[in-house]
Amino acid sequence: MESGVRRWLVNVSLWNPSVDQFASVVSLLPEDEQRTITKYMKFDDRKRALVSRLLQYSIVHEVLGIPYDKIIIHRTLEGKPYLINGIGSPFSNFNFNVSHHGDYVGIASDPLCLVGLDIVSIMIPEQTTEHEFMSNFSSYLTALEWKNIAKTGTSEVKLREFYRYWCLKEAFVKATGAGLGFGFHRLEFHHKNWTDISVYIDGIESREWKFSLYKIDERHWASIARGLANGADEQFDASLPVTEVGFIQRTVDQLIQSRSHGAQQNSC
Amino acid sequence: MASVAGTASAVSVRPPRRLLQVSNGISGLKSVSFTNQRKSSVSIRSAPRLRVSCAAKPETMEKVCFIVRKQLAIADDTPVTGESIFSQLGADSLDTVEIVMGLEEEFGISVEEESAQSISTVQHAADMIELLLEKKKAA
Repeated sequence: MESGVRRWLVNVSLWNPSVDQFASVVSLLPEDEQRTITKYMKFDDRKRALVSRLLQYSIVHEVLGIPYDKIIIHRTLEGKPYLINGIGSPFSNFNFNVSHHGDYVGIASDPLCLVGLDIVSIMIPEQTTEHEFMSNFSSYLTALEWKNIAKTGTSEVKLREFYRYWCLKEAFVKATGAGLGFGFHRLEFHHKNWTDISVYIDGIESREWKFSLYKIDERHWASIARGLANGADEQFDASLPVTEVGFIQRTVDQLIQSRSHGAQQNSC
Repeated sequence: MASVAGTASAVSVRPPRRLLQVSNGISGLKSVSFTNQRKSSVSIRSAPRLRVSCAAKPETMEKVCFIVRKQLAIADDTPVTGESIFSQLGADSLDTVEIVMGLEEEFGISVEEESAQSISTVQHAADMIELLLEKKKAA
């Protein structure tokens, strides 16, 4: 039975299309999406933007069965993509979130809870030390979080800890769709060696949000935030599994092929 | 850990201390409203935008473009202007914070976190800096 839950990752460094190949894949998408993709200056950003959109259309098609050419995805003012013609789907609040950083683009969907995904690519700063780099963000993490980071080992380990906190905060903000203006310092993450992760919002523990962290590879981590909007507390424990499902790796070729397969089915 | 220097001189709204209320569902994700227990309830867009009355001077704009270019490692042949949108230049959320830090150091100003995270264009950054510089002069 379709659960509505998906966790997909694409390693975009494995996809190296020619200029023509890239253009032809872009042309598979609706025109407004094409325009947005070509606005990115750097090719790597265009590649990530394209794959992000391929993932969005694929997830909607696979989970809800809507034909590719009928899927309409818009963005909120804060830039969060959402499906506008999902009304009547079996899932009361089907929503998804995409993220990309470094070599990976990912997508996560949920039938009921608001879901946020953030991927970080841990980059050792070149021009500055790890300490100097992290000091840019001193007001974005709380004193307790910085204390926890300081307790760990080498600067490289500290950097990784920093990225985990950042990743979790991003996932939360993206799940709520609150946008970039939400002050990260209002969130404080508590955890037991990065399991049992919970968030305190404005000093109060939230029982409505669950978080998980995944190591994708040596340099990449992903965080998932899942929570309920108002008034759905009763369903919460029933629908939220204790353990999260893992990520499935997909390729760009698979995503493209499933589109043409989907088109063929519709033309029968 | 270095602390952010200076007093916060940017315009901001401090949300009252209570649990975040988020609007349900997909199409309702446009805004988050915060209510407090007192008589007046405050409802704000979660990405506060400054209403600026002075446009940035050319020197300010030039410095901002330079800092943005450096942070995002933008090729010389790629134009960076007031209209440039950070995300389109390839900035992620970490880049935006670093750009704002660079601007704070360059101009000797302090930007509120909520404002910093919501800066999305070069013009926006330059206008905000101009406003903060004016306020600093007036103080």
